Amino acid sequence: MSPVATTPQQAVELALAAIKRYERPDLEQRLHQAKARLADDQVRLLVVGEFKQGKSMLVNGLVGAPVCPVSDDVATAVPTVVRHAEAPVVTVVRAEGRTEVPLEDLPKFASEEGNPGNRERVQHVEVGLPRPLLADGLVLVDTPGVGGLSSVHGAATMAALPSADAVLLVSDCSQEYTAPEIEFLKQAMAVCPNVACVLTKTDLYPEWRSIAERDRQHLVDAGIKAEVFTVSSTLRWHALQTGDQEVNTESGYPPLVTYLRKKVVAQADLLARRSTLHDVLTVIKQIVDSLRAEQTAQENPESVQQLIRELTEAEQRAAGLKERSARWQQTLSDGVADLNADVDYDLRDRMREIVREAEDALLAGDPQKIWDQFSVWAQQAVTSAVSANSVWATQRARWLAKKVAEHFDSDREQMLPALRVGTSDPMRSVPELSVRESDKFGIGSRLLTGLRGGYGGLLMFGLIGSVIGLTLINPISVGAALLLGGKGIVDERKRLTTKRQNDCKVALRKYVDDVSFHAGKDSRDMLRGLQRDLRDHFTTLAEQLKRSLQESIQAAQKSVKASQGDRDARLAEIKTELAALERVVKEVRA
Amino acid sequence: MITDEVRRVLLTAIDLYPQASEVLRRQLIRLDEPLRVAIAGKVKAGKSTLLNALVGEEIAPTDAGECTKVVTWYRDGPTPRIVQFPQGKSLPVVRRDGALEIALDGPADRLVVDWPSQSLRSTTLIDTPGIASLTTANSLRTTHFLSPEDSPSEADAVIYLMRHLHSTDANFLESFRDQGVARATAINTVAVISRADEIGGGRVDAMISARGIAARYRSDASLRGLCQNVVAVAGLLAFSGRSLRQNDFTALSALAALSREELDSLLLSADRFADGSVERRGLLTRFGVFGIRLAVTLIRQGVNEPSALASELVARSGLLELQKVLHTQFSERRHLLKARSALLALDGVLRSVGDSRLTGAVERILAGTHEFAELRLLSALRSGAVKVPDAELASRLLGDEGAHPLARLGLPRGAGPQEVGQAAFAALQRWQRHAENPMLTRRSADACRVLVRTCEGLLPRR
Repeated sequence: MSPVATTPQQAVELALAAIKRYERPDLEQRLHQAKARLADDQVRLLVVGEFKQGKSMLVNGLVGAPVCPVSDDVATAVPTVVRHAEAPVVTVVRAEGRTEVPLEDLPKFASEEGNPGNRERVQHVEVGLPRPLLADGLVLVDTPGVGGLSSVHGAATMAALPSADAVLLVSDCSQEYTAPEIEFLKQAMAVCPNVACVLTKTDLYPEWRSIAERDRQHLVDAGIKAEVFTVSSTLRWHALQTGDQEVNTESGYPPLVTYLRKKVVAQADLLARRSTLHDVLTVIKQIVDSLRAEQTAQENPESVQQLIRELTEAEQRAAGLKERSARWQQTLSDGVADLNADVDYDLRDRMREIVREAEDALLAGDPQKIWDQFSVWAQQAVTSAVSANSVWATQRARWLAKKVAEHFDSDREQMLPALRVGTSDPMRSVPELSVRESDKFGIGSRLLTGLRGGYGGLLMFGLIGSVIGLTLINPISVGAALLLGGKGIVDERKRLTTKRQNDCKVALRKYVDDVSFHAGKDSRDMLRGLQRDLRDHFTTLAEQLKRSLQESIQAAQKSVKASQGDRDARLAEIKTELAALERVVKEVRA
Repeated sequence: MITDEVRRVLLTAIDLYPQASEVLRRQLIRLDEPLRVAIAGKVKAGKSTLLNALVGEEIAPTDAGECTKVVTWYRDGPTPRIVQFPQGKSLPVVRRDGALEIALDGPADRLVVDWPSQSLRSTTLIDTPGIASLTTANSLRTTHFLSPEDSPSEADAVIYLMRHLHSTDANFLESFRDQGVARATAINTVAVISRADEIGGGRVDAMISARGIAARYRSDASLRGLCQNVVAVAGLLAFSGRSLRQNDFTALSALAALSREELDSLLLSADRFADGSVERRGLLTRFGVFGIRLAVTLIRQGVNEPSALASELVARSGLLELQKVLHTQFSERRHLLKARSALLALDGVLRSVGDSRLTGAVERILAGTHEFAELRLLSALRSGAVKVPDAELASRLLGDEGAHPLARLGLPRGAGPQEVGQAAFAALQRWQRHAENPMLTRRSADACRVLVRTCEGLLPRR
């Protein structure tokens, strides 16, 4: 036996080799799936925070390379994904596809300076680096801090949380936590297994210890259990360049790296290991079980009928597991239906609240004046409502999956299939998140509103125009109407305001409707996918169980007809096979 | 004079509405008081530090944690005195190491500190608790103080501190735009990029970066409508510069005498620098990493006098720039700003009593006073609501860079009346031409007429 512990990959290979002779494609399939899951096993670490807190410096310090652009002004424009690769490589990911670009072009896409306001329309930039820290599947995601945590970007980050394995909230030591940061942490804690706080720039602030102390107190007050790390990226960088270990220790990075290795990666590793081990053991156990059944039958031919009866009953039970009437199927379909209704209700409720609040605001004055701020607010409110809704839906879905698994097999710990969460972003399908653009409320449409507002004016100027020899619709009379529309005539002003209020209300409702429609579709899709995944997973398990039992029955029946000599030979065979499988199990468990 | 007109209207109003005489009388007194400038911003933006730098004495308590919890007024007075409101109780004046220590006695909603200081003579400075604080009550106090929903603001002008422009900052700035009559709040707000020395990790060129960022914000369309100007200031450095002591200088000179490697290694982090030395820790608290780096560099470059170092530090901190901006934007316009505050208050009273007898008089002052027309136009130009050709010249003419005729006409200091006359006449012709341009919209043409009127005022009287 090898003294080194087997990696999950090796375990799968061993099991595959061991079961090859039994010709069970269904079980092999399961092991192949486990292998595939191991292959793309990534640990996604989201680095988030307000802007100018040193997020990019932190990522650079962790990987020891200037991969994320750093600047005195706002620097990061698009999320940068840093993962392992054999050689350094930069890939720009757009909606249309992926393009590889030379390394030195990275700032052109990732930095605010090279790509202001993301005019390149990049979804994210991927950087591959050969680094031991990343080799275990750790993927660092540097998020742009533009607009702060409570903006549309922030909500998008929030929506990405359920798909992350860990979150680092970055905040510098110049001040204690602000309200938005604590709020963010609270939400992050609810959906993400590993949340840690990193306080940066300890080199610049002599008071960093007292700030860290206050922050810890704030965390305790808010009931957040998260580790706090204090680091200095400047020192780390200095240490990397000079190789000065002492400075490296001072930088505070080593504990953070250890945390990432030991806690984040190792935990994900442990999870992967456990689920693979579980797969391997169940597969082998099924084969061992049928071999054992055969062995019993060969040894005691007189009790074969009894055995066959028991096995048939078990097989029927296994078949029953596939039936719609099975308890887990019930739980699943009821649960998904309930969840659908709840999620939908939650979304509607949130949206209704926004619409109500918004209409109050619109009624309070002339919407023309507040439209700019209003539309920003509306977008923000709607985005955070959608992301909160989807986060909540994910939580509930996970809970449901657990319940179903419990029902499926209450005495054995069943592994869940990979759930379909976080793969899609509901906001993406909504046209640009923008009332103004979706409802043509940009410059052109402000004109349009102006025109509508100045309708009386248009007619009047049209008349004057015709008097002095101009036709009704011409640029000049439109311009004149605009002028009147902007000014408003005292008597008309009230009517125009009401009209604008109504227009805005319609625009708002349309926007909210649009978003609700897409978000609703998205969450229904997510739940349907979940239902299908769970159903397929458990049905396959039931199928495998049934097939194993069938094999056992066949083997037992065969043994009835066998001669004593055959029997002895077969018994010896079974013994060696069982021993071989036992060995595999032992090795895998090591 | 506009102040006199406003005073007259206020006096009439006091007679007419005895029920509101309290509020109005306060406005009347306020007309003769120094300009009230509030310093606002998010938590830990460096408000108190900047206040200390402006006054040149450590009278606003500062700390690593959230410190200012009550709106505090600092005004000139014959003797130091601290009064806590609403109780109206006097607190003991305690100074430790030159720093004023204020121990609140029970719940307070505001503090008034009288302090004999030249810097406070023409302006009363008001320190406010930070917004976006974890202690919501503190935040609310500030928001209510600066943009109360029921009554006009107590402050005439606002210095808004931000470290970087956050959405909270923009919201806050917006919340005090658009208040009733005068509607020109971009005029009385100056934004400051505070703690500018911490940008770029406190490198020696940090202030250059900070100025670049300030310039970017200045040209940012969304911010232009919200504030008059954006300046980068390193508050800590400014204060330390203004209060530089001989022993600071000695300590800094000693540092400058160290070898480059030794010093670089020391200044790698705050911890390394302060390690075990009380003196150095004190130096760090007073100057910050950037301040020490800068001071040492300056001493090495041959600044070998405490006073020379002090003035160099103050100059590099951006404080002078801020003071100049405050002077042109606030002090030169203080009559106007105060009149505006008073009219806002009066307007509120008129609205609440639902009487229109004085509305005409208020309207007359607002519409008839050319300075108000200028302010309104300047604000409209900045927010982009009105467009005129040669917008930059127009803003300057309206007093964007200072109300003095020379500044308005863009003439060098010391230009004679002859030159002023010529420049004013040229400007007059330019704007007359624009005003008659048929291609301009009516609002733009109106704007040009306001500018014509300004030019007429600048022409030397014969």
